[in-house]
Amino acid sequence: MDSLIAVISRKRFRTGWTAFIIVFFLFFVILPTVYILSYAFTNWGSIEQYVLDDPAMLDLILNAISASFQIAAIVTVIDILVGLPMAWMLVRKQFRGKALLDTLIDMPLAVPTAALGFSSAIFFAVTPDALQAPSFALNAVTSPFILIILLHVVFSYPYMVRSLSAILVQIDQTYETAGRTLGASALSAARTITLPLFRAGLVTGIILCFARSLSETGGTMIALATMANSQGFQTGPTIIGMWKPLVETNTDLAAPLAFVSILLILLSLVLLLVIKLVVMKVHLPMGRIWPRPEKLFSRGWFPKTKDGLAVFFLVLFVLIPSFFIFTYVGSVESASFDWGPFTESLLFSFMVAGVVTVIDIALGVPLAVYIAKNRTGKLSDVLDVLVNVPLIVPTAALGYSLGVFWTGQNIIPTYDVLLIILAHVAFTYPLVVRNVAGAVEEVDPAFEETARTLGAKPVQAFRRVLYPIIKSSILAGAIMAFTRSLGETGATQAVVASAQTAPVYIVNLINLKTPSGYYTAGLACIVLIIVSFVFMLALRYITNRRSR
Amino acid sequence: MVEVKLVGLGKRYGSVTAVEKVDLTVADKEYVTILGPSGCGKTTLIRMIAGIIEPTDGKVYIDGKDMTGVPIEDRDIGYVFQNIALFPHLTVQNNVSYGPRARDLPPEEQKRISRRFLEMVKLLDKMGMLPGELCGGEQQKVSLARALSSGSKLLLLDEPLSALDSRVRVDLRYELRRLAKELGLTTIHVTHDQEEAQSVSDRIVLMRAGTVVETGTPEELYTRPRKIFTANFIGETNLLEGWVLEIKDGVSVIELRNGGNVRVNQADHPVGYAVVISVRPEFVFPADEGMRAIVTAITYMGTYWRVTANTEDEEEVAFDSATLDENLLTIGKEVYLAVNPKAAVLYPRPEDGVQEAIKLE
Repeated sequence: MDSLIAVISRKRFRTGWTAFIIVFFLFFVILPTVYILSYAFTNWGSIEQYVLDDPAMLDLILNAISASFQIAAIVTVIDILVGLPMAWMLVRKQFRGKALLDTLIDMPLAVPTAALGFSSAIFFAVTPDALQAPSFALNAVTSPFILIILLHVVFSYPYMVRSLSAILVQIDQTYETAGRTLGASALSAARTITLPLFRAGLVTGIILCFARSLSETGGTMIALATMANSQGFQTGPTIIGMWKPLVETNTDLAAPLAFVSILLILLSLVLLLVIKLVVMKVHLPMGRIWPRPEKLFSRGWFPKTKDGLAVFFLVLFVLIPSFFIFTYVGSVESASFDWGPFTESLLFSFMVAGVVTVIDIALGVPLAVYIAKNRTGKLSDVLDVLVNVPLIVPTAALGYSLGVFWTGQNIIPTYDVLLIILAHVAFTYPLVVRNVAGAVEEVDPAFEETARTLGAKPVQAFRRVLYPIIKSSILAGAIMAFTRSLGETGATQAVVASAQTAPVYIVNLINLKTPSGYYTAGLACIVLIIVSFVFMLALRYITNRRSR
Repeated sequence: MVEVKLVGLGKRYGSVTAVEKVDLTVADKEYVTILGPSGCGKTTLIRMIAGIIEPTDGKVYIDGKDMTGVPIEDRDIGYVFQNIALFPHLTVQNNVSYGPRARDLPPEEQKRISRRFLEMVKLLDKMGMLPGELCGGEQQKVSLARALSSGSKLLLLDEPLSALDSRVRVDLRYELRRLAKELGLTTIHVTHDQEEAQSVSDRIVLMRAGTVVETGTPEELYTRPRKIFTANFIGETNLLEGWVLEIKDGVSVIELRNGGNVRVNQADHPVGYAVVISVRPEFVFPADEGMRAIVTAITYMGTYWRVTANTEDEEEVAFDSATLDENLLTIGKEVYLAVNPKAAVLYPRPEDGVQEAIKLE
């Protein structure tokens, strides 16, 4: 043991290890993620031939992509408008039932998007007769565009509320109080003091929400399949999911697939850069105060109505759609079906998620520590920016790009499982790195330095001092990576067309368009929900016990 | 005219009482400090006056008006926070003009007012800077200017100097009092620093564990504290236990537990009564007879020496000496100590003992 520590404490070993981690990050995470961009240079001819010169194809692609971005934008705006009052309430107000509300908001997070897709589609959309939707379902939405917006709000709303309240907690309430002692009403103070301080955090919330909506594949596919008439509606990721299985027999689709992926990657990166600049640079005329109207809105019925509406929204547009599947399955006739393939796909998902999480931690924590400890360095800055790329790129595009990258080289064998794991590592790795890097930066370097002055080697100082402090952040990152991997459909399908993930299995059931098919899909969703619920509870239990 | 009146004001959090039924009247233009150890409820008290915390008992009257249910922004107060709380995204000038802006005064008026108060704290040249670019003392001055700019005649200072360096803290103290008096403000100043309280206040309200211990001018609390807690908390003192041996012409002779007798010009306790004497180090001096003690430490304090000596029963007595006669005062030397009878104060000995009476919580 001692000799091992001595070996890995040598300067050369440590430099080599750091280099290895950075190389891994660049070649296994970043490069495959954006590799498809090179297709535009090497195969411009086929893009022209199969896409640009084919108006029907071009139209289809542009429509799907523009729908994706429109949906993401609308969802983000809705999330901010209704998420902000909710976050405000949770952070700044004291009331009875606050703990309950807090838990309720987290509930949809435990429901995989695939199940959410089916559940909310049954609740909101006009569904085929064979589905036998309960009479108290809303049964109103006929536009696939609106249905997808509603679905995306359901799954992104809790994230938005969580990220907004995380920022709000950090803004010292004294500022607002100070404003009020100077005569500003509660609303004026919140608007002119707290909101401007909110800006940087708002950017993170917007970008995450936007990127999540842009990426979402499994739930979207299922919701569209559930509708009575989806009018051939497609989003960018669902197009990739649709074409990928066909490309092996019909190579004409390679160029359109690459084109869609390139557009998704480029547009999302550019757009999010623009969002960042706009939110940070553009100053809204927020300085003015309108004492009388704002005072009026600070008291009496207005704040109460606002809070009431926020709770109403949560219940009707988030909670009921999330769990409507239970009432559905309870209200229709039962049918027997074969659990075999479904269990297999579930086990497969868990296996992938487990392996991915282990890789993320083993190779993500060192990178996080490197980034956090070399904050002043150029390289660290670049890495810090790059880490966000896989988070922003829609996962279906990422998956397709990664598949093309690895099958095009002869460096590693291209087993399906391996490719799926690599794809999942690519988009979950940043979650671990960002979580841990944030935590390491909070830790006073004096702790480790003290350990070093007491004779500990760097690796021992990490093991004994830093690791215990950041352990909970590592765990949090691991949980996020695991659940993201578990719920992912877009990347899996885009990298290996034949992959039988749980969402693919559910879509196939729904596409049977028979009562028993729907019923079975519902049951499968419930199993998914229960499994992930149990899993979340177990994780929460473990984290609580550890942190004590 | 602004008078603040607290009637039975209290705050409970479940079973924990932060402030217990405080009655207090602060007169117009008076500078009152609320002094006490941390956790005594003084910050809760001032926050209830400002309306930041809702009281669970009693009422706050400002200018004779009941403030129950009146939100912070309608109480017309100036408030300075311990953590300064300048709006980090606004320039110094915009911070100071925030109050006038919130009251929708015309822009020229906003500018005029902010310049006036920045000039008053001598920071007109820092007008365009952001708070983060100023040092702590300057920041707190800006925050003072901001509080004053609302034009309110009631100034509430919540530990305004605690976050500052010691030198700046002392300078700013006088600045606070000067401005308050110049502008004719009614000021309530919360602090845990007794020196600060003594140097700025017209009157000190001493608090402990949620209740008011005693109220008086700085001089009264220093020279004639009515409670042992006050004697110990404000300034330094020796607390010596003993019994009344005899009373003659208004002078009590006290037999001390550590042996030796001292005389105190006070006669409110009968012969045989158990008492505690509080006497400040500057009123204890070496003499021919009195308490016998051995010198254990001598510390140079600048203009005098602080000598610590141990009595026979290991009680520590501190006294000040303007000169240091090495034949008389060296470590290990035996001395006899007497007290100035006019400066000592007698208290009945508390049932739970002296330590319990001076405990901070």
